[in-house]
Order: sequence, then structure tokens, then C-alpha cells
Amino acid sequence: MSRISLMLKAAVAAGVLCAAAVPAQAQSSSITSEQAMAALRAVQAYAKNDGSDPSLTVLDRDGNVVLMLKGNGAAPHNIGLSLRKAQTANLFKMKSIDWRDKTMPGKPDADQRNTPNAIPLGGGVPIMVGNEIIGAVGVSGTRGGQEGDTAGAQAGADAAAAMVKRLQASN
Amino acid sequence: MQKLINTLVLGVAGIFVVAAGFALVQQMVKQFTLQSLAANDISVEQAVLVAQGAIDACKKDNSVISVAVVDHDGLVRFMLRGDGASAQDVDDARKKAYTARTFRSPTSVWMEHTAMDAVENGKRVDLYGQRFLENTIAKKGGMPILWHGDAIGGVGVTGSKGGEERDEACAKAGVEAIADQLL
Repeated sequence: MSRISLMLKAAVAAGVLCAAAVPAQAQSSSITSEQAMAALRAVQAYAKNDGSDPSLTVLDRDGNVVLMLKGNGAAPHNIGLSLRKAQTANLFKMKSIDWRDKTMPGKPDADQRNTPNAIPLGGGVPIMVGNEIIGAVGVSGTRGGQEGDTAGAQAGADAAAAMVKRLQASN
Repeated sequence: MQKLINTLVLGVAGIFVVAAGFALVQQMVKQFTLQSLAANDISVEQAVLVAQGAIDACKKDNSVISVAVVDHDGLVRFMLRGDGASAQDVDDARKKAYTARTFRSPTSVWMEHTAMDAVENGKRVDLYGQRFLENTIAKKGGMPILWHGDAIGGVGVTGSKGGEERDEACAKAGVEAIADQLL
């Protein structure tokens, strides 16, 4: 009897050791090029309505560029701005226009503005699926300034997220 | 009465002559005074068509490619990273596009031209130094987008299954997608 319990204990210990040796794998989802193209088309549809010609950047969840587009009449700064707005949305998991307001000089979070690559300007929107961020869209060069850029980026982020949700529903 | 009509007709004709002369002088002043330079450039719409053409061509063997299109100035007009590709892959695509644009020839041709042992017209040419230029890359898969003898852009492809040869074929297919607009 004591031998069996000893063996059992040994087996349990071995099992625990094995489980500890193989840690659970981290999983994360990120945006595909097709979903980035869907975001592009939505931003372009917004721009057509708007009569503007914006530049945009789509990032994956790790902050890598998936898609980049420079508008026909873009000023030299537009594409760089779209990248940094998207990076801001991705880094802080919020619209860059909200982050701008949150980090106004004098506010407790003002020092966040020293973060490299972030920029306190509206036009960056995270692509959210539920509570998870899978990427970000940054837009620069619409009519309507930072609010217009935010609306354009939101249209793009919504289109990409809708595509993911459709895929999840069909699976 | 006849005299009055004659005077009227002459008067109207005179006004026309003066107006035409004024317009002509204005046109000539415009012609001969300095104006800002105009350059033709690849548009967003064309860039997306080129990229889509390259992607579709590479889909035939289930390749997932990254593609970049640069404009007349060699700056990114459109860039799309293939699923699973690294950030390096897409930057290489951009460099291929840039190299093709700036040297107005396919990167494969530029590579022959700038090889260590390149020979042209029976003479050795040493252009290897061009390979040290920033943003150039000695890899096949970049094609210029030519319009009336000038490069209005370039396209670069990386990540096809057939290697650099297929990259180049896909880039070429991309340019051919807007061939009717480049006449």
C-alpha cells in the first residue's frame, strides 16, 4: 500500500514537473494584409465624401507597418504623421486625440508626451476586437483637422475590426 | 447711314484685334517667364493597381508577397506587408522599388551594370560603388514604372516562393497592370 502511494506521489510530482517545463504558449492575434486593405478602402471612401486626399498607415499589434499610403497631394510631413499617430494609438491603446487631451501640459500624465514615436495629435485609432487590440490606423490630411483625421481613421479601424468579427462568427 | 455701319463694324473689329493681341501678349509673357516646375508622378490609384497586379501574379503559386510602390521622388506611395513577412522583408521591397526608380531600370539590369566584373562594349566598367548608395539594394525584384522615358515610380516585391526571379516576374506583372495608362 505504501509502495503504491509512493509511486502515485512520484507520478504526480513528475506530472507537475512536466507541466512546469512546458509553459503555456502566449497567443495574440494581429491584423492581416487583407484586413489592412479593408481599412484602406474605408478611409478612401471617407476621403471621397470629404473631398480630401489623406495619407494613412496601418500597424499590426506589435507596431510593425502593414500598410502605408501617401496621398496624391500629400505634404512631405503627412505620411510620417500618419505613422506616428498610429503608433500613439497602438502604444497607449486609445485614440491619439484622447491621449492628446489626457497628456495636456499640467495634467498628471503630461510626461507621457516624452515617449519616443508618440505624438499628441488626433488621427490615430486602435483596431479593437472586444477588449483586444489587434492593430492601429493613423490618418493625416483629411479636411476637418484632427477631428476629421480621427473620423477617417475610425472608419478604417471599424472596417478592419468588422472583417475580423465576421471571420470569428463564421469559424 | 452706310458710314455709321462701317464705323461700327470697324470699331467692333478693332476691339477684337486689341483683345486678341492682349491675350497673345499675356500668353507669351506666361510662356517666357519662369514658372514652377511640373513633374509627372504615379497616383495613389495607379500605385494600388500596380501592387494588386503583383500580388495577383504571385498568388498563382500561392506566394504571399510584400510589395512597395515608390513615387517620382523615390518616396513610398504604397506599401503592403504580406501576412507573416518580417519588417525587413517589406523594407527590402521598398529598397528594390527605390533602386529601380532611381536608376530607371529593373534591379536585375542594374545589378549586371554594377557588378565587380561588369563589361560593356568590350570594356570593363567599374560602377560597383553605386551599390553603396543609401536605400539601394542588389536584389532582383524591382521594376521601374516608366512614362515617356522618365521613371514616375518603381515597384518592389519580396517573399515569393520562386525567389528573386519570381519576385521580378511579379513586379513586372504589377507594372503591366497599368500598361494602358503609361502610353
